[in-house]
Amino acid sequence: MAVRFIDSKNTVAYKDYLNADPEFKIAARYMTKDVCIEVGNTKCIVKFRDGIVTQIKSENAFADPWDFAVRASEDAWEKFLLPIPPRFYDGIFGGMVRGNFRLEGDTISAFSHFWAVTRMLDIFRELQNK
Amino acid sequence: MTKFDSITGRYIHLNIQGVEYRVFYEEAGKGIPIICQHAGGGDGLEWTELLNDPAVTSKYHIIVPNLPYHGRSLPPESIEWWRQEYRLTKSFFMDFELELSRALKLYRPVYMGCYVGGNLGLDLALEHPDKFRAVIGVGAALTGGTPTLDTFYHPNVTNDYRRVNGMYFCAPMTPEKYRRANSWTSMQCAAPTTKGDLYFYFYEHNLTGKAHLIDTSKCAVYLLTGDYDPTITVEDTIEMAKQIKGSKFTEMKNLSHAGMAENPPQFKKYIIPILNEIAEQSKK
Repeated sequence: MAVRFIDSKNTVAYKDYLNADPEFKIAARYMTKDVCIEVGNTKCIVKFRDGIVTQIKSENAFADPWDFAVRASEDAWEKFLLPIPPRFYDGIFGGMVRGNFRLEGDTISAFSHFWAVTRMLDIFRELQNK
Repeated sequence: MTKFDSITGRYIHLNIQGVEYRVFYEEAGKGIPIICQHAGGGDGLEWTELLNDPAVTSKYHIIVPNLPYHGRSLPPESIEWWRQEYRLTKSFFMDFELELSRALKLYRPVYMGCYVGGNLGLDLALEHPDKFRAVIGVGAALTGGTPTLDTFYHPNVTNDYRRVNGMYFCAPMTPEKYRRANSWTSMQCAAPTTKGDLYFYFYEHNLTGKAHLIDTSKCAVYLLTGDYDPTITVEDTIEMAKQIKGSKFTEMKNLSHAGMAENPPQFKKYIIPILNEIAEQSKK
């Protein structure tokens, strides 16, 4: 199973989908951060400005700065993106507790905006299974 | 026609370790008394569906207190509580349950608690087996594991963090209405309570080398853990259950951290047979 949100063909559509989601709009309010999502050795940077996702950058993102990162292996993300994920892969907090996901960088900022991040990843799951 | 819940809520004044606390509790039903203790950073709302279920309240007297500093149990008036960070200790927690039981004239109630409350159940079974006929630990283990306290009470982390924990400490098959209710109730308590309660959980509850001393012939021990719980896993609870001779462990399928609030119908599939077993044992 290919992880779709990291694929540059999908990033514009994913950005628009996120910005149109009513819950995400509330969750991401005021958020101005660059969030790195790493899938194995591949990463994308989701750029938030005043609560709007302005870009999901998955190509040539190796040198882009970020505030905090959510990292996991490709296998972990594939499990996370299943319609019914297995235990310890169903949420990133639980996944972190069990060592399947890692949160790095400015973790306080990550927890400040945890609702936006988790809603974003839920939307990625919805789109993965469409 | 006006519809009312069968739950009654009232205040009781308890003297705990020399300080008077005005404690809010809810109750419903008649029969064997069961004190249902909420989880860390939570309040009695977690047990609402059990309080409101005639299948439960027809046989059992359900009592749901809010710990001091939680929900409608405000901090005490007689001390300058704001001059120190809120912190729940085992000694206070234990005395609270004993004093509540004494003040309400409960005869050897069942004690049921979740997580912070669940772990206390095992401490009560060890140290006060004569006071309780049974303890039920929902998500209980020998220890709380690795401490992760600071993010639970930080000026830059908002209440939405607790909302997220309420949503994602649910198994993925949890009905959306319950997941969202759980996220909302997770935001109800005052900001310092989660970190303060977890002090007990991480630093004071530790049955390593002591669990085998629990005597289930004096106080029965039931343990239930959700298969999706990432914090206290099924394996963690089994490890403890193996050390408590006569304890009974149930793995709850499709549940995570706080089953009674997360998915009450699913939780009741597991808890009602246990309550009925305790009722049968109480007849002997």
